[in-house]
Amino acid sequence: MECYSEQIISIFVDGELEVEEAQRLRDHLSTCRRCRQLLDALRAENRVLSESLQELSEEAPSLVGVSRLRSSWTWSDLAIGGAVLALTSIVAFWIDALRIPEALQWLNPFSVSGGTNVIFNLSYYFSDGGTAMLSEYAAVIGKIILVLLVGGSALLLGRRFRLRQPGLRLLIVLVAMSLPGFALERRHSDIVTVRANETVDDTLLASGNIVRVDGVVNGDLLAFGGTVEVRGTVKGDLVSFAKRIVVSGTVEGNIFDLSNSLDLDGQLGHSIYGLMQSLHVNDRGHVGEGIVAGGGEISLEGEVNRSVTMFAGNADVSGSVGRELTMAGDNLTVTNTARIGGNLSASVRDLKKVHIADGATITGTREIQVRERENRFTHPIFYFFTAVWLAAAMLVGWLILILFPGFFQASTHAVGAGWRSLGLGIAVLAGVPVAIILTAITLVGLPASLMLLMAYLVAIYLAKIWVGAFLGQILLKPTGVTKSDVLLGLLVGLLILTVVRFIPYLGGLVHFGVTCLGLGAFAWQLYRFSRPAITT
Amino acid sequence: MDAKKDSAKGSQPREDNAMQMEGPDLESVIERAQGHDAEALGEIYRLYVRRVFGLCRYMLDSRESAEDATSEVFLKLQRSIESYDGSVPFLRWLLRVTGNQCIDALRRRKRGRQVIVEGEEGVAVIEATSSEPSPLGAVISTEERAQVRDAIACLPENYRVPLVLRYYGELSYDEIAEQLGLRSNYVAALLFRAKQELRRKLSHGSK
Repeated sequence: MECYSEQIISIFVDGELEVEEAQRLRDHLSTCRRCRQLLDALRAENRVLSESLQELSEEAPSLVGVSRLRSSWTWSDLAIGGAVLALTSIVAFWIDALRIPEALQWLNPFSVSGGTNVIFNLSYYFSDGGTAMLSEYAAVIGKIILVLLVGGSALLLGRRFRLRQPGLRLLIVLVAMSLPGFALERRHSDIVTVRANETVDDTLLASGNIVRVDGVVNGDLLAFGGTVEVRGTVKGDLVSFAKRIVVSGTVEGNIFDLSNSLDLDGQLGHSIYGLMQSLHVNDRGHVGEGIVAGGGEISLEGEVNRSVTMFAGNADVSGSVGRELTMAGDNLTVTNTARIGGNLSASVRDLKKVHIADGATITGTREIQVRERENRFTHPIFYFFTAVWLAAAMLVGWLILILFPGFFQASTHAVGAGWRSLGLGIAVLAGVPVAIILTAITLVGLPASLMLLMAYLVAIYLAKIWVGAFLGQILLKPTGVTKSDVLLGLLVGLLILTVVRFIPYLGGLVHFGVTCLGLGAFAWQLYRFSRPAITT
Repeated sequence: MDAKKDSAKGSQPREDNAMQMEGPDLESVIERAQGHDAEALGEIYRLYVRRVFGLCRYMLDSRESAEDATSEVFLKLQRSIESYDGSVPFLRWLLRVTGNQCIDALRRRKRGRQVIVEGEEGVAVIEATSSEPSPLGAVISTEERAQVRDAIACLPENYRVPLVLRYYGELSYDEIAEQLGLRSNYVAALLFRAKQELRRKLSHGSK
């Protein structure tokens, strides 16, 4: 009997030889050493092949469905947590009849040309209408948010509305934690008073139509409401959102403030940081450090130990400033009695609007810059910055493509879902900031709200990457889908978006739409990402 | 080769160390999955995703395509699992489905043409026997196994696909032939040539 060929034996080793022929081969093998050796070698070879292939390499598939988070801490749990925080905050509001600060409105970008008037007139309007109206307004918003959040979490939990065990645990923990006020003293009423002989040993959170501190607060004072008057002493900082703030006593820390008016009659240990319609430092007022403020009208009659930086519609300086005075705005008046211990720099639109009296004492140099409305397109530096921005976006896109290619592709595709992405994006764009504020107000949720804010800003930045990549893919219609195709598409898409953005009016609208689309696609992908593999 | 085959080699599909689900447990999971229980489907995913991904990774040329194919397999699993009747071990069935998916992907890339085209040289049994001992014969270390994987990845598609389907997916010649639209004889020839090519690559590489 002739020896068999290697191929036949190989087929035999694979178990694929026909029965009769296999039997013949077996018979032959019993007598032929060479063929037996060949058989053994081929068997070993097959074994090695199988083992090598089946030894799975360390790279785990980074599939869309694989959840990297531990199963006890997924997005649905976070959504529940957010809902609980919002819920308890709102409940707290209702129970305590908290007066909602004006700060709950959208903060418009600060504009020196008098736009501040608009903002603070608005706040005036709201508070004028009575804080009752405001709390109703907030309650309505709160209800809407609550519905959105609860509905959203129900969606995220899946069709079966079942809470998984770890989620339930988290819920309980969050309920316990979110009960506000465990490290502060809280006072809410129409008129909140800290009497003259009274000492509050904690940080005080106070809100009301009138908040009056005649006594001593041994921590920070967080005051929200209509009028805040500090006639006594605050050992910590004063953080305040209110219509009117008057400090005739002492604040040993800083003043952080957002208000219609701030009057400093007394002593401030450190600095003023704030945005207000009018800032007035009386001649008895004393600021231990500096002032960084933006305001409609700023008047400094008193003493500031260090430097002053301000953005003002109208600025009047008649007191003393220890170091530099920097100002940008419309009008600047420096009177005879003013003393500035450093440089004076002003940036205005019209030189005539700057009046520096001869008798004023200015130790340093005077630098007055006139800003002109320039067309940014004529400046090469504009193109440079645009190129840098574009390069940064490309880099970020490339990094994400390398690290999470599946996620990148999926997010890009999700843009194509059109209305769903757009709608989701608008909801996220509008809803998240309110959630952030609500979470922050509970104060124990402050770190969480900051994290949420960061995530929100990052998501907004990323939005254009998804849309750019999608645009690129539509336009280029790449035949293959390699990384360089995607990147090229991203580049093309981003270029188009950049150019369109600079069209007046339309550009802004398109940019808004792009952000919503991208945000929605991203959010949708995150939702899918957190599901354990199966989505229909 | 459609007569009954003599199986000289029987093997169980190797599972990851982490998951040793056999018999009745697996059966119940599959049953629940067939009833559209999302948790059961998720369980199946967790058990088998690495094997499925492994097959896709070997058969397709890029990670992204492999990931896409794997996603497709599990997305379609909801419907396709209803057709599983228990006549073959589940993993083998799943790998068959996966193989189909990958071949579809390959076919799409070739725009509908055959993934592997039968050559004119036909299926004459190759008589020449390589005299050198196969470098694949010795028990080899982890690095060498990695080398083997790399060499496989470098094989041309018409060698790599059948090889991976057979020694990773553990499909039979007939199953491979069916998936690729070839004759079983041709599959055997391809496998043989693939191994020869592999030996050549590895022996050159080690020099």
